[in-house]
Amino acid sequence: MILQLLAGAAMLAQPGPYQRQKVDPEAARRGRAIYSQYCINCHGALAKGTDSAPDLIRSPLVLRDRLGDEIGPALKRLPGHDSALTARQVIDITHFLKEQIEATAKDRSPVQSPNVLTGDIEAGRAYFNGAGRCSDCHSTTGDLAGIGRRYSDPADLEQRFLFPRRSKPVQVKVTPYKGQTISGALVRIDDFEVSLRDSEGQFHSFRRTAGVEIELDDPLSKHHELLDFYTDPDIHNVVRYLESLK
Amino acid sequence: MNLIAAILLSVIGFTQAFLDPARLLQPPTDAWPTYNGDYSGRRYSTLTKLNQANVDSLGLAWVFRLPADRAAQGGGGNSAQVIKGTPIEINGVIYVTTPDHVWAVDAHSGREVWRYIWPSKGGWHIGNRGAAAWRDSLYFETPDCNLVALNMVDGKERWHSSICDLEQFYYASAAPIVVKEHVITGVSGDDLDIPGYIESHDARTGKLEWRWYAHPDPGTPEAKTWPSVEAMMHGGGMTWVPSTYDAELNLLYFGTGNPQPVIAGQGREGSNLYTECIIALNPDTGKLKWYFQPSPHDTHDWDAVQTPVLFDGEINGQARKLLAQASRNGWFFVLDRVTGQRLVSSEFVRTNWALGVDAKGQPIPNPAKQPKSDGVLVTPNQSGAVNWPSPSFDPDTGLFYANAARAWSVYYLYDDSDKPEGWGGNDRGGYSEAMLQAIDYKTGKIRWSHKWPGNGGLPSAGLLSTAGKLLFAGDPNSNFVALDPANGTPLWHAGLHANVTNAPITYELDGTQYVTVGAGDTLYAFAGH
Repeated sequence: MILQLLAGAAMLAQPGPYQRQKVDPEAARRGRAIYSQYCINCHGALAKGTDSAPDLIRSPLVLRDRLGDEIGPALKRLPGHDSALTARQVIDITHFLKEQIEATAKDRSPVQSPNVLTGDIEAGRAYFNGAGRCSDCHSTTGDLAGIGRRYSDPADLEQRFLFPRRSKPVQVKVTPYKGQTISGALVRIDDFEVSLRDSEGQFHSFRRTAGVEIELDDPLSKHHELLDFYTDPDIHNVVRYLESLK
Repeated sequence: MNLIAAILLSVIGFTQAFLDPARLLQPPTDAWPTYNGDYSGRRYSTLTKLNQANVDSLGLAWVFRLPADRAAQGGGGNSAQVIKGTPIEINGVIYVTTPDHVWAVDAHSGREVWRYIWPSKGGWHIGNRGAAAWRDSLYFETPDCNLVALNMVDGKERWHSSICDLEQFYYASAAPIVVKEHVITGVSGDDLDIPGYIESHDARTGKLEWRWYAHPDPGTPEAKTWPSVEAMMHGGGMTWVPSTYDAELNLLYFGTGNPQPVIAGQGREGSNLYTECIIALNPDTGKLKWYFQPSPHDTHDWDAVQTPVLFDGEINGQARKLLAQASRNGWFFVLDRVTGQRLVSSEFVRTNWALGVDAKGQPIPNPAKQPKSDGVLVTPNQSGAVNWPSPSFDPDTGLFYANAARAWSVYYLYDDSDKPEGWGGNDRGGYSEAMLQAIDYKTGKIRWSHKWPGNGGLPSAGLLSTAGKLLFAGDPNSNFVALDPANGTPLWHAGLHANVTNAPITYELDGTQYVTVGAGDTLYAFAGH
């Protein structure tokens, strides 16, 4: 029996002195059930501790543990752990705890998408046609018809409304010193060069020397200016309104 | 002293691979002997050989391309090397680092002299800010939590000393700073609510001398800025960026990082000392002298670790010893570096998250702009108005320069429970405009602002100003640029293969002034011809 347990342990062990314990999802599931029976009352539902017992997610002992080599002796040593868990059960608990730790260390990504539909549809419609002046450029029966259907996740819709991606390029007019103006779609600009493709697709490039005049027209500039103007309620109202346009 | 000893001493004195620590107390001219060039953090060179009249003659001297790594261990890295640290140059040899790697490069030819690779046990390989030198030892930090000392002559390891615990999700990326015989090290780690700290190790043996934690002792008045001891002891405050140092006052200055949990702040009500603070510390004892907090109770990941630049100046007609920081949260502060008294607080890019400043001059966070489940629009974004890249202060113009961005994103709270852990949220998406800001230190007002055209991403490039009236910067369009520090007019540039990813350095070698900068995996050395 012991040999089998050790063999099992060897199979689950990860080589190398530093590498984190590789979580076995099956063992973690068993470990969660054992935890719920023996540990949860004191250490809390999410192993974050209570007044009676410490947080096990941020515990250096648990973090150092590999397959029970620290937790096993601690359970024997520390008061309040009277139940005799088998070696197998201890290993399962470690997988559960390591799974919780990994989830915490990764929680800069959401488990589920945020609920951004907290605004008011009518207030959003009023803003769209009023203070926001969205209707100056957009039409809910034209370019935005059915916009609510285009995004399965309303958070994506919120992002696209606030930070629209470029569907039309920036337009640029370049007039060289005493030369003829050439206009087209901007390819690249910095302090030293500007390049564009004209309406026939020809590539033109200019050094920005003295006397070279440049005029830029960015179709997204209004959206950029609005970032200083929206309130968060405006944003949530507009998103709710747009999402309703199915 | 007998003849043999005198000869031996003279040999040591002229040895290539040796830094007399007294050099660290002088402005950088024929060397760039420490991360910021000198202890002040100004990144200002007194060299005038290169100047506005002859900058057109600045041309490429050589290129050193770092060989690609085998796959980095421990996750978070890739095989292409990126130079994110400031190299140091001592006696004609440049020492440049990436995670686990140190190269010694001949500053005349750009050829490798030696290379050292630390066998890694893991840790996030996000970047390495550089090496430090003391006599004939070279020191650097590794992602797997070690301070390593090399023999500068041949790159062989002398010793290594543990500086953090990989098990607790710490890692290390900072450049050490040597002050007297102390090697000062900083740590990183934002994943699992751990305390930040700074340490001093003996320069000869690596033995730990002291550790200062970025939190108060339990039971002190400052500890009341946390709801519980447990929250305080898991509160973050990482020490990402190297310190500056005033040798007369014997004070070390550095900033601390964001509190943890990073985004979800509801379990850590209070101003959360000493996270997002500028700290003044005694380097011999590790005792705190004073603190100032650019971002009380932050929930946006705005580390206040930007270089605290030291210079002497005049405020309201009074001569004072000053410290200035352009902080990640978009605010600029000038403090009296003896007492920590605030003299100037101002925005260096317009922000939308603060309700003015309190009596100490510290911004008051607007609760409406703390992350919410349905998202709030905030400027700056998480990357910040500036990040780790270095600023520069030019005493000739009296201007503090920051390579900045005005950037927006939406902050979401993912965990609204009473006790979030880890991040518990994040920002997403955005729009950004990049600009080089020149700030009048006496008033905090913007004297001039040079908008970088085109790509608006936050520049990854630090700054360098010189007495030759040149301000060197990388733009977000793969150019290395020299501007007029008085008005921001570009005077010279070189189109590189990638954006500048570190801060430029300058030094004079055999009568020639060089300016050396890193872009991606390549070190470019420019020289006046």
